[in-house]
Amino acid sequence: MDYIFVNKILKTPIYKQIATSITIAIEKGELLFNDKLPTEKEVCHTFTISPTVVKMAYDQLINEGRIKRIKGKGTYVTNRKNHRSPINEFYQIDRESNKLEKIVRQIILIDLIDDDFSAYRMLKLTKGENCFVCVRIIKENRNPILMQKIFLPEKHFPNIDISNLEKKTLFEVLQGKYTHSIDHLHNTFSSINATSDEALLLNIASDDAIYFVRTQLIGKQNQVLGYIANYFPGEFTEFEVMVHAV
Amino acid sequence: MQSNLMNFITIDRRSTIAYNEQIKESLKALIVDQTFYYKTELPSYIRLAEFLNVDIKYIKTAYEQLIQERYIRKIDAERYEVAYFELTNYFFDRNVAIYDAIIALGLTPSIECVEKKVIKLSIEQQTYMGFVPNEKAKFFYLNRLYMGNHQPIMILENYLPMSVFPGIDQNFIGNEPLNAYLDEHYHLKAHLSHRITKAANLSSVLAKHLNERKNAASIRSTNRVYDKDKRLIDFGQSHAISSYYFQGLISKEDIANYYTSKI
Repeated sequence: MDYIFVNKILKTPIYKQIATSITIAIEKGELLFNDKLPTEKEVCHTFTISPTVVKMAYDQLINEGRIKRIKGKGTYVTNRKNHRSPINEFYQIDRESNKLEKIVRQIILIDLIDDDFSAYRMLKLTKGENCFVCVRIIKENRNPILMQKIFLPEKHFPNIDISNLEKKTLFEVLQGKYTHSIDHLHNTFSSINATSDEALLLNIASDDAIYFVRTQLIGKQNQVLGYIANYFPGEFTEFEVMVHAV
Repeated sequence: MQSNLMNFITIDRRSTIAYNEQIKESLKALIVDQTFYYKTELPSYIRLAEFLNVDIKYIKTAYEQLIQERYIRKIDAERYEVAYFELTNYFFDRNVAIYDAIIALGLTPSIECVEKKVIKLSIEQQTYMGFVPNEKAKFFYLNRLYMGNHQPIMILENYLPMSVFPGIDQNFIGNEPLNAYLDEHYHLKAHLSHRITKAANLSSVLAKHLNERKNAASIRSTNRVYDKDKRLIDFGQSHAISSYYFQGLISKEDIANYYTSKI
């Protein structure tokens, strides 16, 4: 509980100080999603303050949606660190050099398919053409920050070792042999409600908002080389744009 | 629905995927690529079941799931239509007023003023928004609904400092485009707009204004507008209907930078 800081000499109400320290710990990533908070009693003892004060602090955090009480079990963190990135760098989220925390890429599915209703339309492929698929989850500490479904048609990426996506970023995997043929990325940003499976994988609640970004890798002749469906946990992901007057 | 449209819906009897799932996905794909466009009537349970030669229960389940995911909706007891459409804002990363972006979509824009008043904000609120906190400061609060062809597209709340825009509460009617008004009456233009977007669930109040269900996923955009002296002149927060999306290109140069800046 060393993340809680109380200064009784200050004029700031103590419940606010407690709520603020917990908020900061969550935002800094010291407290993670599903971490258990000390009981109200423990906080009272440690800081010799009244139970009402601690209750007020926890109530405020519950109202803000940062923590929740589970009857008979304790109080848990529901919020997590926000990820903010410039909008044109969203695809670099799993790049280690950008981050202090350790990034883990976890592949949950590798497949070679010959049809997919939605993806084949984005890829302009017809049923029967082979396509590599990789579903992976990118985690920072224990928090999933992105789920990706990566579709790479065999005709554009023959012999690609898709299992490398566990160790490397997508562009590291594509680098060299394939990157010269990618001209630009075409992205559409939208919001969708999480299905129960998506929620489970992203560690959010079913029906929570997902920031859904569809990325097409476009080649020089304007052909679609690949398609990535990106699922970001909506409440914890922010994209930033600076728009200057012309 | 014309009978030839039904030919697009297919199932694979050898597949291990359940029929209802196949029918749902097949319809979804057709709706998303607008083969079945907005307001197209779907075949009835019975007709589609006969056509695909499957039990009616699969069609029912598929339709129910599509209603839940809001791709289709009920017109009456037996008829269903496509509810899905996509609305692209091509100007998200450019300095274009929402009003003009709606015109560019080929829709007739209009603005409905939900609320306007002069308010005070707590020091915390002012700090969060980015204003220099001042206990006495008053703000002109505007809450407006932007419509295209009389359908809601976006709801936008603005907080304008009264110190920058004296008298605005008396003279601004509420349904006129804001940027043009500020330019004309105060000679102030947006020099820089800092936008932060995220996906958020709609509150019941916002959902009601936007004609959506509570909790529908929406793009929330927080905008801080600065004038040429880097002074914050407008804090705004918008929520769009769930069909709204925007596009962004990442150029070859950006991708190249990704490699060259790599350690």
